[in-house]
Amino acid sequence: MTDKAVPVIEGLFSDTAEGPRLLGSRCAACGTPYFPSSAVCHNPECSDSRIEEAFFGPGGTLWSCALQNYPPPPPARYDEPYEPYLLGMVDMDEGLRVMARINAADITAVEIGSRVELELDTLCKGGEGEDVITWKFKVVQP
Amino acid sequence: MKDVAVVGVGMHPWGKFKDKTLNGMCRVAVEAALSDAGIAWRDVQALAAASSRFSGGKGWGLNGNDIVEEMGMTGIPVYNLSAGCAAGANAFNVGYSLVAGGVYDMVMVAGGEKMPKGFIQTSGVADTTDPEYVRQLCVGMPGPGFWALLTRRRMAEYGTTEEQLAKVAVKAHQCGKHNENARFRQEFTLKQVLESAVVSDPLRLYEICPVSDGAAAVLLCSAEAARKLTTEPVWVAGSAVATASFSDGITRGVGGMSPPGNTHHSEAKLAVAKAFEQAGLGPSDIDFVELQDNTVYYELAFPEEWGLCQPGEAESLLEAGETMPDGKLPINPSGGFLCFGEATTAQGLFQICELTWQLRGQSGPRQVPDAKVGLCQTLGLGGNGAAAVLKR
Ligand SMILES: [Zn+2]
Repeated sequence: MTDKAVPVIEGLFSDTAEGPRLLGSRCAACGTPYFPSSAVCHNPECSDSRIEEAFFGPGGTLWSCALQNYPPPPPARYDEPYEPYLLGMVDMDEGLRVMARINAADITAVEIGSRVELELDTLCKGGEGEDVITWKFKVVQP
Repeated sequence: MKDVAVVGVGMHPWGKFKDKTLNGMCRVAVEAALSDAGIAWRDVQALAAASSRFSGGKGWGLNGNDIVEEMGMTGIPVYNLSAGCAAGANAFNVGYSLVAGGVYDMVMVAGGEKMPKGFIQTSGVADTTDPEYVRQLCVGMPGPGFWALLTRRRMAEYGTTEEQLAKVAVKAHQCGKHNENARFRQEFTLKQVLESAVVSDPLRLYEICPVSDGAAAVLLCSAEAARKLTTEPVWVAGSAVATASFSDGITRGVGGMSPPGNTHHSEAKLAVAKAFEQAGLGPSDIDFVELQDNTVYYELAFPEEWGLCQPGEAESLLEAGETMPDGKLPINPSGGFLCFGEATTAQGLFQICELTWQLRGQSGPRQVPDAKVGLCQTLGLGGNGAAAVLKR
């Protein structure tokens, strides 16, 4: 990461003293996690919406992964020349299932069920050469 | 509720038609449905139409108003229904409900689409409160990438092989080559499918449906009206729409809860279950199914999710030829989305056309022998699911 770095969307993640975390919320009444954060609980079985701020991360387990072989249509962003990237669905230890890019050499280096860890990493370069940051996961234990 | 019959169906073939207008294509489909039923446009009492975000509708999804202007402004009520790729089926459900509820005797349901080139942009708004927009901006996961995730999970759970995935596409084209309305009518060998370009590993080009142009129309009427038109109507035994349930395991945006088990595509499962319940029928009563095969994965996963076969059984049914028109569980005898490509909002109605032709015994070489009951299903962005059971 360079000095100039901006989040792809404000308020979704943070580099805290304990390391990178996703910023969301959780209903204290029914336990449902929300990412991005939700102002109210959407669980139809829950009649007592009590939303609290929640941090998710860093650990999770890879539910599945795939390769984005071709350049995706807008609003997806990438640097030219296009380099295929790995997509994943991760079950985070806090009960949150999250979509993310996976940092790995290639798809053969990743296995479903692998332990993964949250990191904040460059999505692409912005219009003024700044790093546009998003959340990703890296494999820590295949 | 009154009995509702399908008395006319019509399609404009699926393909890419640079020089045709959407209105002209819809006219072909609507006129074919009218002529199939033997009535005139002025006899239609209401129109339920699929709203599109890609073509026509004055940019407001007013696709039904376009059709009325094209066919003749008789002053009938128009219902424009938006449900992503399930819009055609959603319009069918509204048309069905209007006739079943006794509001109208004769309702046209129509959907037409001219799709933009290439891979489609799923989110139509640049709004960070839209989960689909956030997913595409922050992660970049278009449809094929998402389908590839589901496919790889299935491969890990059930040992599905790349060869088995390819066999679904081979089978689709063995059916679709007989369908004069299909866009792709050639056969593919297993080798050709396995050598087609990888779009999103593990899915290949011939295992994913492209986007197409197409239009379809269906004429629904009451039992009394049907008796005047035909001695052999096809009956709507059940028609249902549903939305995804909160506990669905497929994250719709970028994050959700991780529920236990494979609680996937609840909108489709709920719609199918409701259509069965309404029909008083179950999985063992259907002779064939037309399901939304955006990719080969769905032809393996959906039958299991709806109880048409056991979990993990789909691959062996496929390899034993049981999903062919003359098998135990015929799936997509039309050739499905793989042979048609997706004209998103018209898809639900092409399925109704196929069910009707099959139940009338008019499907030629792709005919399911002695088909009496058929099921169809679509689903769309936003968690929209739709299903119908038709019988003769
Ligand atoms: Zn709650």
